[in-house]
Amino acid sequence: MLGKNKRSVTAFLSGLVLTAVVYLAPGMVGDAIAAEAFAEQAFAEEAFAKEVLAEQPGLSAVDDGAPEIEWGQDVFYKDWEGNPLKGPVSGAPAPELGPTDYNNYEFAPSRMLIWVANQQHLYFGSFVLAVPIFCMIIEFIGVRTKRDDPIMSVKYDRLAHDLMKISLTAYSWTAILGGILLFTFITLFPGFFKYLAGIFRPVMHVYALMFLAESGVLYVYYYGWDRMSQDPFLKWIHCSLAVLLNLIGTILMYLANSWATFMQAPGGIDSEGRFLGNIWHVIHSTLWNPVGVHRILGNIVFGGGIVGAYAAYHYLTAKTEEDRAHYDWVCYVAMFICIFGLIPLPFAGYWLMKEVYAFRQQMGITLMGGIMAWLFIIQAVMIGLLFFAANSYLHNGMARVKGSHRYMKYCKYMVLLLIVCFTMWMTPHTIVMTPAELKLMGGAQHPIVGHFGVMSAKNTAVNLMITTTILCFILYQRANKKIMVPWATVGNCWIAAIFVGAAINIIFLGVYGYFLPANQRVGLSVPQVCTTLTTLFAGTAINISMFKDSESYGDIQWGSQSKVGTYAVFLLAISFTWLMGLMGYIRSSVRLFWHVTEVVRDNSVDAYTLTIGEAGKMLTFNTLFVWVQFVVVFWVGSLTGKKAPAEAPSGVPVPAQQQQ
Amino acid sequence: MNKNLVSFLVFAVGLAVFHNAIFPIFTPKETGWLLNRYVYFLVFVAYLIIVNIALRLKPSISMNALFVWLLGFYFYKSILYPPIPWTLFITYMVMWSIGCFLYISQDAETFREFRKPIVKTIVGEYKFAQVVVMTAMPILVGFATYNTIYPSYQEPVELRTVHPAPPATTKVHGKTYPLESTNNPFRIDEQDNYKDSFPFLDADKHEYMKYVTEGGTIFFENCHYCHGDQLNGLGMFSHAFNPTPANFIDPGTIAMLQESFLFWRVSKGGPGLPNESTPWSSAMPAWEEHLKTDEIWKVILFEYWYTGWHPRTFGTEGSTADSRGGE
Repeated sequence: MLGKNKRSVTAFLSGLVLTAVVYLAPGMVGDAIAAEAFAEQAFAEEAFAKEVLAEQPGLSAVDDGAPEIEWGQDVFYKDWEGNPLKGPVSGAPAPELGPTDYNNYEFAPSRMLIWVANQQHLYFGSFVLAVPIFCMIIEFIGVRTKRDDPIMSVKYDRLAHDLMKISLTAYSWTAILGGILLFTFITLFPGFFKYLAGIFRPVMHVYALMFLAESGVLYVYYYGWDRMSQDPFLKWIHCSLAVLLNLIGTILMYLANSWATFMQAPGGIDSEGRFLGNIWHVIHSTLWNPVGVHRILGNIVFGGGIVGAYAAYHYLTAKTEEDRAHYDWVCYVAMFICIFGLIPLPFAGYWLMKEVYAFRQQMGITLMGGIMAWLFIIQAVMIGLLFFAANSYLHNGMARVKGSHRYMKYCKYMVLLLIVCFTMWMTPHTIVMTPAELKLMGGAQHPIVGHFGVMSAKNTAVNLMITTTILCFILYQRANKKIMVPWATVGNCWIAAIFVGAAINIIFLGVYGYFLPANQRVGLSVPQVCTTLTTLFAGTAINISMFKDSESYGDIQWGSQSKVGTYAVFLLAISFTWLMGLMGYIRSSVRLFWHVTEVVRDNSVDAYTLTIGEAGKMLTFNTLFVWVQFVVVFWVGSLTGKKAPAEAPSGVPVPAQQQQ
Repeated sequence: MNKNLVSFLVFAVGLAVFHNAIFPIFTPKETGWLLNRYVYFLVFVAYLIIVNIALRLKPSISMNALFVWLLGFYFYKSILYPPIPWTLFITYMVMWSIGCFLYISQDAETFREFRKPIVKTIVGEYKFAQVVVMTAMPILVGFATYNTIYPSYQEPVELRTVHPAPPATTKVHGKTYPLESTNNPFRIDEQDNYKDSFPFLDADKHEYMKYVTEGGTIFFENCHYCHGDQLNGLGMFSHAFNPTPANFIDPGTIAMLQESFLFWRVSKGGPGLPNESTPWSSAMPAWEEHLKTDEIWKVILFEYWYTGWHPRTFGTEGSTADSRGGE
């Protein structure tokens, strides 16, 4: 598995694809068909609400003397004719917040405090949601490989168990941070919390109950591990518990997401902020699905990065060869999962941005062209770093595989391609320059690199970067294999054709985009993404098919990973932590002076947008703070592993039956 | 003779000869497909590869990395034209340096090979190199310090937001226009239908071209002094302004914006910009004080027709509509 045998590779990939389908497909497919279905459903709901209200004595509009039902127009949802959806007003209007609705401490602005509390909770929340996904996959692989490779099977099972142990400590920590966040919110923003709680009252209760269910399943899953491992049937039950745990975790995350997405792009209320009676509309606002999918993928990358960094640290400090080999392998498994999440992550980000633009063009421009644009440039740099780190790890990892010399010579060309693409990816449209430089350049846009400032170039660049990473991964997969299938040449030609064809198509679409109107140009990103995904799925599928009856040049030499490759894991983990904070800040602060966009105005003294430098300091603080906590959590988690076997003190007589 | 040294001499001498003798040949006043600076750069790279292969020099990976890094520096500093601003140069060089590092650190062996001469220099095995490095380093640090503290009288750079988020509505001549739903009332047809038509010549034949002609007239009466007669932002007054007037030919300006965005920007001018766009840094007047509403729309129509760009739309509907805003 993962370098040990091909059956495991297949099982692992199947697991990953299955996970992707289970978690991502419902959101994506649901959203695709939702548009049509929703219009009919909304119409039916409206009609139903009218009927029910008409039938209820005392509520009917036609009853004499009865209070008339007031109908409000939804700020987001529309009926099948495109008019704002109407709903019975079921809540109080949004309050106009004044100075008495905000509290503060002397030592720090409330906004910074809620930011830190929120970010820390989210970091830990991401980690504890990601680790069970890993454990589910790794345990599943362990079960599947039990017959062919019992030793590896046990190793996988032990790894999943160890990860859950760390997750358990982190879980309590997350709950504590959640409590701190809640108290910070209630005490510092009581006016706004009251409004939000009024609308999300049932969701908050369901959330609490789901948390209870998550805890219950988690404890049974963890503490029942050893006992349920002994019987094959119970083991499958145990695996099913992992699925259940992840499903509950995903629901929890989606419920919590609904509060944030409502604040950014509200639905289910009228322009005065009055609840219109349909809680699903409030939850399922326009950004709910893209944010959910983006977060799941982000969690996987984040969790993979942290577990990878944990393993990398142990690898560098390991005293024995066995430990080095073990942690090298753990690091590889974590990075494998991390890169699997990283590849589709930019696509989910594009989907989210598309929905943001669709909700309010103004918000999209603020993000991509306005006051937040420079933060997006920083984001581009960070994403580039992630891809560099991932590729560096793969190159270094490939070097320790016997037989990899056949492919190592291509690494430098892949690096060159990555750098060229990254140069395009992060060239800003508006360049920071002095007036003298501007005059020298002859205008605000450079006649050559200025073309890289628009989305056609950026989409092309990022798709080529991802395709290169996929190619690198495919070469890694086959590094120690001598392909023996009779159709090896044909297979190689197919793989080469897929990648060359993909590169040509991506570049062609990118160039073609310059000649199209902007709204059509945006549409070109879809075939570009499909091309990239084709290389991932078709390339990997053909590659794995070619492993049949392959001969091995030798096993991967675990424990021989280079230091540079190991440090790349730290770079990836830290960069991603910072990036998560950055994107969270951008997503949240794009509301500018609104608590709930265009409904509840932020009238506190903190309703300003930070300068880039100040925001950067806060992000760095949050990153350092959470890593300190992770170190503590890992240390706590390792305490149970350090138990020395109990030995009888000298001088104490040992019972005869215990003597060996 | 040390092959690395030969290889380095091939690079250094070659660069001096190429830059001083051959580069001028490739940079005539009228550049062509072959005689341009980028072809020159490729020729220089080809020279390096061919000579190294022909002489079987096989320079070490550290030397290769140095060559690659220097080639990047040379390209961004001297080849790419017009010169790029300092901030962009630094950004590109950081990326190029990262790329060089990835190249040398692709596996433990290459990294070890890269480190070897450095370690040998530090420990003194390469005595001459140690003397050169230890002498050069303080001089370089001193030079950098001098450059840093030497007073500079340049205007400070500023992060100006070029396309600020527009307001939800804008009020022009007493009417309120919601920017998301307002379209150009004179866009009565698809502009591609009139690719081969000309303003003034065909103004009487098609109503659409009549509006374009009227817009063009207004443009050349009022706008071209700054935005240029080719709409490229290089009008006769443009060099007096910082920032320079918008270049409508560029795919990153009007091609990315809705017509209503332009309507808002033209009507309100520099003073109407939000603070993030430093309204004090724009010389464009609020044209609502000088032009009628219809005239503003016609100028916008002309700008799109002339440049060939299509206004940005969101959703599947076209940009033709008859909305004239609301009260």
